[in-house]
Amino acid sequence: MKCKKCGSKAVVNMRQHKLALCKEDYLEWVPEQAERFIKKYRMFSHADKILVAVSGGKDSLSLWEILVRLGYQADGLYIGLGIDGGFGYSSESHRLAARFAEERGLTLHIVDVEAEYGESIPVISEISQRGRGKPCAVCGLTKRHVMNRIARDRGYDVLATGHNLDDEAAVLFGNTLRWSGEFLRRQGPVLAEMPGMARKVKPLCRFYEREMTAYALLRGIEYIYEECPFAEGSTSIYYKEVLNKLENNRPGAKLTFYLSFLEARERGLFTEAGEVRQELHPCTNCGQPTTAPGLCSFCRMIDKVHGEIEIP
Amino acid sequence: MVKLILRDKEYQVKPGMTLLSALEKIDILPEAVIATREGEMILEDEILKDGDVVKLVAVISGG
Repeated sequence: MKCKKCGSKAVVNMRQHKLALCKEDYLEWVPEQAERFIKKYRMFSHADKILVAVSGGKDSLSLWEILVRLGYQADGLYIGLGIDGGFGYSSESHRLAARFAEERGLTLHIVDVEAEYGESIPVISEISQRGRGKPCAVCGLTKRHVMNRIARDRGYDVLATGHNLDDEAAVLFGNTLRWSGEFLRRQGPVLAEMPGMARKVKPLCRFYEREMTAYALLRGIEYIYEECPFAEGSTSIYYKEVLNKLENNRPGAKLTFYLSFLEARERGLFTEAGEVRQELHPCTNCGQPTTAPGLCSFCRMIDKVHGEIEIP
Repeated sequence: MVKLILRDKEYQVKPGMTLLSALEKIDILPEAVIATREGEMILEDEILKDGDVVKLVAVISGG
């Protein structure tokens, strides 16, 4: 297969775009497209300070690399979760994120959950008894809290995450299966800022996961290849597999699913029911918005963990 | 023979077939992997030769 731009041997074939590219042209094409999406969805400008949440994985490190390459002011945030899985998952992902930053002279903020809140994610999950034996719910809640706290406290204008199209399509698939109106209304490339909550953006939301893997490999970005030990058998991975089967037979199905959803949302498909909006209150401890007056879910969870430690 | 490796699993297919046919034969979705041979990425239409070792990089991550 030949590169559509220069005619040399192609290394990436994107059937959904009917586009095959060689290494050099692909490495130019990805940042160009990212810039296009950043502008199209009005995510941020060159004047904004961006905090990129980095996990040590292919998507977040590639996102950081692309934003810096495009000349944006982007710093990183790594959250140490304290997950081992028999191969030092968190310590290895920390090492890779730190090395990425060091090699490029970039600023990386590090928050270690155990040092900051007393226990690692698996232990917090066990004590708080959230998530039916899996710490994923606790992990998500903690990451959202910490990302927002650091973005707000350190004066960043926007928080960027490395969610790719497969991530977004899998979430959309799950929300559609349950017709979760509130979640469908909120899903999108940009989540607007609100009191106590930083603006959130997903500049990679239109790239397939396969494309981001190709970018990281071709760019020589060393990322953590091993999966989080708790992700095995997860619903999100199952949905991704289902969608990939569809994509295999119908190239472009994932992209159409996501883009048609965004267009439908834009046209107001979900707005009528959305007129009943939940009132948000600032958490009495951390100030982040929460649906019920008093402590937010995260602060309640940490309170419980501390209580359990103090009273054996 | 051609060897294909995905994480800790190894598969063998006959030479002379395309990468796409090889992936179909070992029941791996092309959408879910990127194939490399001698460190270079290869596409589905690549004809696999005797002695080739193809490393498959899984692209799906969860969480």
